[in-house]
Amino acid sequence: MSRKGTSSFVIQRATAVLLIPLAIWLLINIVTHIGADYASARAWLEAPFNGLLLGAFLIIGAWHMRIGMMEIIADYIYSSLKGALLFINWLVALGVIAAVAWSIYHISFAG
Amino acid sequence: MAEGATSGRPLSPHLQIWRFTITMAASITHRGTGGAIYGGSLLLSVWLYTLAFSPSLFGIVSRFVNSPIGLIIVAGYVWALSFHLMNGLRHLYWDSGRGLAPQTATMTAWLIYGASILLTVFILWSGYAARGAA
Repeated sequence: MSRKGTSSFVIQRATAVLLIPLAIWLLINIVTHIGADYASARAWLEAPFNGLLLGAFLIIGAWHMRIGMMEIIADYIYSSLKGALLFINWLVALGVIAAVAWSIYHISFAG
Repeated sequence: MAEGATSGRPLSPHLQIWRFTITMAASITHRGTGGAIYGGSLLLSVWLYTLAFSPSLFGIVSRFVNSPIGLIIVAGYVWALSFHLMNGLRHLYWDSGRGLAPQTATMTAWLIYGASILLTVFILWSGYAARGAA
């Protein structure tokens, strides 16, 4: 257990590097597509790569967010709440990953 | 795992204890924007989930996104992501052992506040212009 800090540090940096191009792609696309109507939004994500890129941003981002939020909780919370918050933080990350993967799969192949 | 890795550590001095410097502000803003992106990405995941599985719920989400509050959230998300992206590059540069001199760190902190605001204005302006034209 005591050696996990190093792996969190490395994974935080590795996901950060992967998120650089994905975040740039999202920043370019978000304003035009987030407010779009149902048919246009579906057409955007059914196009090759768009679904993959949004899925990659949210899934890799979920892991990056989990580590960042864990650091914030570790820095500022010292009570019986800490364990519960760290557990919820895990659940949120896993929930986002499952929901996003399922959604992208459904839009791309099953819609 | 996480509990084992984080128990028994000293706590960080809390926010109000620091004298104001721009580098300290950038550090706090990095965490703040990280938290904001956490929340915004949950909303983006809800948007995606309803797009995949429920056109009627998507209609509700979409109306919220296009409401005044929704537009403020989108604008805030764009700025938070711009700042966190640029300051994240600053952190990665620091990890290489460079850029850590106080003068350099102060200069890059100001630069990132300015550049992230300019980028946000540009993204919102060009994005809404493209939507208006479509």
